[in-house]
Amino acid sequence: MLSLNARQLLAASLALTAFLGLTGASLDQAFRASSEAALRERLQAELYTLLAATDIDRKGKIQLPEDLPEARFSQPGSGLYAEVVSNDQKQRWSSPSLLGQKIAFDARLKAGERRFEQLPTQPANVYALSYGVSWETTARGAENYTFTVAESVTAYNAEVKRFRQILWRWLGASALVLLAVQGTILRWSLAPLRRVEKDIAAIEGGEQQRLAGDYPQELQGLTTGLNTLLDYENRQLARYRHALADLAHSLKTPLAVLRGALTATPDADELRRLTQEQVERMNQIVGYQLQRAATAGRATLQAPVTIAPLLQRMRASLDKVYADKAVDCRINADNTGVFYGDEGDLMELLGNLLDNAYKYCKAKVRITAQPVSQPLHHRTGLVLEIEDDGPGVPADKLRAVLARGVRADESVSGQGIGLAVAQDIVRAYHGTLDIRVSTLGGACVSIAFPTR
Amino acid sequence: MRVLVIEDETALREQLVSRLKQEGHVVDAAADGKEGLYFATEYPLDIAIIDLGLPLLSGIEVIHRLRAAGKVYPILILTARGSWQNKVQGLEAGADDYLVKPFEMEELLARLKALQRRAAGWTQSVLHCGPVALDTGAQTVHLHERALELTTFEYKVLEYLMLHAGQVVSKTELTDHLYEQDFERDSNVIEVFVGRLRRKLDPDNTLQPIETLRGRGYRLTLPRSAA
Repeated sequence: MLSLNARQLLAASLALTAFLGLTGASLDQAFRASSEAALRERLQAELYTLLAATDIDRKGKIQLPEDLPEARFSQPGSGLYAEVVSNDQKQRWSSPSLLGQKIAFDARLKAGERRFEQLPTQPANVYALSYGVSWETTARGAENYTFTVAESVTAYNAEVKRFRQILWRWLGASALVLLAVQGTILRWSLAPLRRVEKDIAAIEGGEQQRLAGDYPQELQGLTTGLNTLLDYENRQLARYRHALADLAHSLKTPLAVLRGALTATPDADELRRLTQEQVERMNQIVGYQLQRAATAGRATLQAPVTIAPLLQRMRASLDKVYADKAVDCRINADNTGVFYGDEGDLMELLGNLLDNAYKYCKAKVRITAQPVSQPLHHRTGLVLEIEDDGPGVPADKLRAVLARGVRADESVSGQGIGLAVAQDIVRAYHGTLDIRVSTLGGACVSIAFPTR
Repeated sequence: MRVLVIEDETALREQLVSRLKQEGHVVDAAADGKEGLYFATEYPLDIAIIDLGLPLLSGIEVIHRLRAAGKVYPILILTARGSWQNKVQGLEAGADDYLVKPFEMEELLARLKALQRRAAGWTQSVLHCGPVALDTGAQTVHLHERALELTTFEYKVLEYLMLHAGQVVSKTELTDHLYEQDFERDSNVIEVFVGRLRRKLDPDNTLQPIETLRGRGYRLTLPRSAA
């Protein structure tokens, strides 16, 4: 992909070229138009002087003094030419400068008519201004004459060329300056991005843990997001490490029991019973630790999960599994209750708690989910209550169950591990889990996720 | 009953098959999803045990397809991934219950029995039909509160008839669900067992619990009743 720098530079250069090109072209056009107008005006003036110097005798012959008002009319090839011709072609006067030149001045104009045109000649074209005049001669009455004054384009072209040179030199110089300025601006405004890059390299190199320092407002979303992700990754890594260590340590006890039993227990039945027991224990440990490690924990970049449809799905699933019990499960939740986090975590949490409720209830389960809002917090919290009409959790077990999973569930079996897993998930989202006595008569597990 | 096991792990599949046969069930086994789906749609099954992580065709897909093909028998899923997302997905696809590996074989057998009973419309584990009470858990039969001595095969025939109480059960159906596929199919054997059952359930010939419908099969006439 094209770098930001290259994109900016390319876009700016294209815009600059277009802008300067158009400016140059229009200035050039304007200059040419005004030079042409000036030339025409000059020719007009020459024409009037010529007209003033002209005399036409009785026979209609055109008379001009030897000493012409403009010296360039008298020098051959001077570039300034004049011709006076009667419209019937009988009388013609050409300026001495036209000597040896062949220019087809073929305009024959009525009195008062005017024509300005460019005529092709060698070595250079000429601009010609013609003017029709009616002259009273005593012998023949009024006669029409056409006066033409022409100037070679060479001078005009040279002038235009000089102007163009100056124009493009200036435009080029300003383009270079603008590009240089733009490059500097670019470097300056992209500097924070380079800083981010350097910081990330430092994180990769293990020199720092997160993006430190001040970033402009536009980058803060990105850098805060990156920091959140980094923190999340770090926490996740720490949890994996702990889970692995916990797993290894907690498996050592049953392994030690088994090893001891191998040498110390001669009775086969007793050994079988012991193995069975320890295998079951190891299975629970593995299940519990696996669950703990799989908990995604708070992930801030996810879309919230609407809780009501999920509750209905879970209820449909559990109704199937506990079809024999025909549990009456009521859900009090509308679509305002949302959970900011991983859907898998939420399902795990609800699954464990609902499974317990279905398992231990006599006939009724009640689920309540309500959003909690607080001013200045974007994200609503959530209070979840799962109640049943079963025997409830014995008070002496409660503390043990909530404190640490694996130990407690050896005696409580199912319920303990479910609660311990739920407790872990709730903690990962900075929530709280509490167990009370429900108005239904059994346990009421109450979970609160904070607003943010 | 006739059970289909779809499980790709050879050791576990063999354990399941031998244990189920030992329990007196007719067992079909498949090692991948494709073969499993074929058996699941072609054989007259009572129940299927399906592992979710299967080669060729996932367990979820097998369940979807066999339900789409109109099969209504209960399905028990086995999964190594115990996550609820997984379980709910399986149950929503059409399974009726789940077991997370590793599991106790006894637990599996109990779940199968419960599923079969539920599929036949019984909610309790003890089936009551008139004076006969059959405990599917303990595999015992009581007549007028007195224990009745039945052989394994007699018990199986009675259990099948009681699960389908009020319905006509053909001899072929009984052989299909209670015999191994390669077992010699001799309908006389069924007649003999039904005859013995009649004598044991109705020694003084007043109850007439099993009706014979010529050319169609048998029907348990005793009414289903609550405990």
